[in-house]
Amino acid sequence: MNDLPEVLDVEAAAAVDPGTSLLVSGPAMAGKSDVVRSILASGLRNGEGAVCVTTGGTTADVIADLEARVDDLVESHVAVVDCRERDSPDGDAAPEGAHVHHVGAPSDLTGIGIGITRSFERLHQCGVDRGYLSLDSLSTMLTYTDRKAVFKFCHVLSSRLDQAEFLGLFSVDTSAHDDRTVQVIKQAFDGMIEIRERDGDREARLRGVEPNPSDWVAV
Amino acid sequence: MSESDPPVVLIVEDEPDVAETYRLWLVEDYEVRTAENGDEGLDLLDEAVDVVLLDRMMPGLSGDEVLDRIRDEDLDCRIAMVTAVEPDFDILELGFDAYLSKPIKSDQLRETVRNLLERSEYDTLLQEYYAKVEKQATLEASKTRAELSDSEEYRRLTDNIDELRTELSDTLGGIEDDEDFIATIRGLGDVDGT
Repeated sequence: MNDLPEVLDVEAAAAVDPGTSLLVSGPAMAGKSDVVRSILASGLRNGEGAVCVTTGGTTADVIADLEARVDDLVESHVAVVDCRERDSPDGDAAPEGAHVHHVGAPSDLTGIGIGITRSFERLHQCGVDRGYLSLDSLSTMLTYTDRKAVFKFCHVLSSRLDQAEFLGLFSVDTSAHDDRTVQVIKQAFDGMIEIRERDGDREARLRGVEPNPSDWVAV
Repeated sequence: MSESDPPVVLIVEDEPDVAETYRLWLVEDYEVRTAENGDEGLDLLDEAVDVVLLDRMMPGLSGDEVLDRIRDEDLDCRIAMVTAVEPDFDILELGFDAYLSKPIKSDQLRETVRNLLERSEYDTLLQEYYAKVEKQATLEASKTRAELSDSEEYRRLTDNIDELRTELSDTLGGIEDDEDFIATIRGLGDVDGT
């Protein structure tokens, strides 16, 4: 089962295997996070799990957003790896039921890896063996860690996701980096979802899953 | 690690009989160095060493101390910690790449060494892949589409990248569990965990 076509209505979306890792790229404010969370929400409605690695939004925001999208959200199907840069490790109270793992900083790649591993363990204990992992965003990680390290991290993580049969969605803000950086980073992934705004409408297309990019469709 | 030389394994173990047993199990496939204590181990450690087999409980410098020194020196080797009992600690949080509980069987030891080397190979391939991808992106940024399709260099590079991609996904057999996953992230060259 694959929930991608519920959000991204192109033929190629149905061909995306669980365990695929996709780069979600687009300029600032294009709605990348919204698209990613819509996909996560579809998965949660279908009984799958969601692991949210956040470098910006608080744990409470992430959960509240998913609650607003999914009726009767099962909190124990959600895990958050919170790696926001902050002075003190408290900040927000962990919402009841969801699994939360705090990492000291977005540059702590090993810590993020451990958080993801713990998340899989906890979801597994709650009977969830499939789902989605979002990382929002790589752009923040790229400001703290050099491109090479982020690239390698993405590659290793996508192989872990492949094995776990979780579909990875990694956001990158194309207006925050030069073209070369995005060109390089995308090679760590199996494909990408490009997002743009045209005449006030949001559009997306899928690349890398089939030889040619899909058409642009409204999302 | 070059193609022709066998990989180098350093055994740091204070019981000579045990060290000799390990050596005999490994000597057919690897160049083996043995050290009787932590200080001697650090002396024998250089860029050529691929895998260190480190006894945790030793008189003098303990395995944990040796581990810290090795990590501080930023040497690109993989470390398997040998413990007398099942570890009661959270192995993911610590800085070594694998652990073995005594008594160790010959298959188990060889399997661990092979697995650690496979991870090093993955890292080397990933490094190469990244370098090629960077180069490709540079060419794409500086040339027109027409120039690229005429460029022999660009075609070779693209083929090369495809090959490496396949090779990398084959090597990923090295990531078999969470321990492997974390150790691989920790071992990513200049990736800094702080």
